[in-house]
Amino acid sequence: MFLQLTLSGVSQGAIYALIALSLTVVYRSTTIVSFGHGDFVMAGAFLTYVLVVAIGVAFLPASLVAIAVMFLIGVAFSRGLVRPIRGGPHIGLALMSISFGFMLRGIARTVWGREVLPMPRVFDIEPIFIGSVVITGDALFIISIVAVLLVVFFTVLHFTDVGKMVQAVYQSERGARLIGINVERFHNFSWGVGAALGAVAGVLIAPISLLHPDLGASFLIKGFAAMTLGGFGSLAGAVLGGLLLGVAEQYAGAYIDTTLIDITAYLLIIAVLLIRPRGLFGRKVVVKV
Amino acid sequence: MARSNSLLYLDGVSVSFDGFKALNELSLTIAPGEMRAIIGPNGAGKTTMMDVITGKTRPDSGDVYFNGTVDLTGEDEASIAELGIGRKFQKPTVFEGHTVADNLELALKAPRGPFATLFHVISGAEKKRIDYLLDRIRLGPKRGELAANLSHGQKQWLEIGMLLAQDPKLLLVDEPAAGMTDAETAETAELLKDIARDHSVVVVEHDMVFVRSLEVKVTVLHEGSVLAEGSLDHVSADERVVEVYLGR
Repeated sequence: MFLQLTLSGVSQGAIYALIALSLTVVYRSTTIVSFGHGDFVMAGAFLTYVLVVAIGVAFLPASLVAIAVMFLIGVAFSRGLVRPIRGGPHIGLALMSISFGFMLRGIARTVWGREVLPMPRVFDIEPIFIGSVVITGDALFIISIVAVLLVVFFTVLHFTDVGKMVQAVYQSERGARLIGINVERFHNFSWGVGAALGAVAGVLIAPISLLHPDLGASFLIKGFAAMTLGGFGSLAGAVLGGLLLGVAEQYAGAYIDTTLIDITAYLLIIAVLLIRPRGLFGRKVVVKV
Repeated sequence: MARSNSLLYLDGVSVSFDGFKALNELSLTIAPGEMRAIIGPNGAGKTTMMDVITGKTRPDSGDVYFNGTVDLTGEDEASIAELGIGRKFQKPTVFEGHTVADNLELALKAPRGPFATLFHVISGAEKKRIDYLLDRIRLGPKRGELAANLSHGQKQWLEIGMLLAQDPKLLLVDEPAAGMTDAETAETAELLKDIARDHSVVVVEHDMVFVRSLEVKVTVLHEGSVLAEGSLDHVSADERVVEVYLGR
C-alpha cells in the first residue's frame, strides 16, 4: 500500500511540480508572484478540450497548440499589461495578474457557464503490474512527460547560452543590462515559459479530471504550497516541493483521513512558514547593517 | 579641441534636479586614445556626468557628442552601450553564480535574444578572446572559479574584463580603487594603464595616490562644472582646488 500511495503521490505531485516551477520561473525573472497563474493552467486545459472535442484535433497536436498559444498569451500579457506598470508598486503587478486570471476565467464561464466538462480518454496505455503495485496508464504518461520536460528544462538552464543568460538576469538585472542583454525581452520570455509550463500542467490535468472554469484556483494553492515547501525562488525546490506535496496528500488521505487531502496544502504552508520559513532549498537572507 | 576630432565632447551641459543644478554648463572633451581622471568633492556632478554620457539622465541643455558626430542626448542606454561606451559602476556588478570564464562569455558581443542564444555554441575565436581577456585582467588562474569567491578587487577586474569583452571605444570607470587592498590598487592602476593603450578611459576617483599612479590629465569638477584641468601637480597647486577639495 505504501508503494502504491507513493506512486500515486508522485503522479499527482508531478503536476504540482510543473505549476510550482511555472510560478517560480516568473517570480525569479520578474520578482512578481503571479496570483492569476492558476487560470493559465485552466486555460491550457480548456484550449486542449476545445481542440480535441469541438474541432476534432488529435490529443498530441492539440496539446502542442494549446501550449504554444499559452506561451504567446504569456508574452503578450508581459508586454502589454506588465511592462507599462513594472516601475510601480508590487501590489499593482500582483493585482494585474489576478485581474488577467479572472478575465480568462470569465471568458471560460461566459462560454461554458459553470458546467463540468468531461474530456474523452486519451491515455490508452496498459497499466503495469509490479507485484501488488499498479502503475496506471495515466500515472505512467504524466510521470514520463513531466520527467522529460524537467530534464529538458534544467539542461537548457544549466548547459546552454540562453540558460546562462536567464540566470544572469536572475542574479543581476543591472549587470545584464550593462552587458547588453535585453532584460525586457527576457521578462517577456519568462512569462511565456511560465504560462506554457502552466499550460502543460493543464494539458495533463484535462484527461484525468473534470474541467470547469474554476479549476485553476485549487491548483494555484498547490503551486504556492510546493513553492513554499521547496523554498520560494528555488527552481529545483519548486519541483521537489511539488512531488513532496503530492505524496503528502496521499499519505494524509490514507493514513489519517481522506478529508485531509484537500487541506494538506494549507497545513503544509502553515507548518513550513512556522518551522522553516525559507523552505527546504531557499537561501537564508542575511541583512547587512 | 574641435568636436570633429574628439571621441567625447560635452559642451554647456546642464542638469537640474528639483531646482538643484547637478551639472552647470559643463564642458569637457576627451580625445581618442586618452585616459582622463575626474576628481572632485561629493556633489560635484561626477556621477551625473556619467549618467548623461550613458543615457541614464537627459540633460536640460547642452551638447553631448560621441565620435564627433553621434548626438548622445537622443539615444537610450542600450543603444549608447552598442555604440561603444561601457560603464563600470563603483559596486561590482558581476554574476556571482557563474564562473569567471562564463561571466566573460556572457559579456562577449554575440546573439542576445532568448531564441538566438538557445542553440549558440561558443566558437574557437570566442574561446581565444576569453583566454586573452582572462590574462589581461589578471584572472587566468581563476577562470573556473565562481565569481562569488573572488576578492572585491578581483571582482572589479572581472567587471572591467566584461566591459572589454564588448570592445568599447570608451570606458567609464567609477571609483575602481574603492575598497581595495594596496596591492590590488597598484595592480588596478597598471591594468587601467594597459587598457588605455588601445581604449579611451575616463576614471572617476577619490584616491589621490591612485590618481597620481595613473599619470594622466586630471579634470576637477565642482558644483557641476570644470574648476581646473591639467596634470595632478598642476591642479593640486590651484588654490581653488585646495580650498574646495584637497584642503578638506
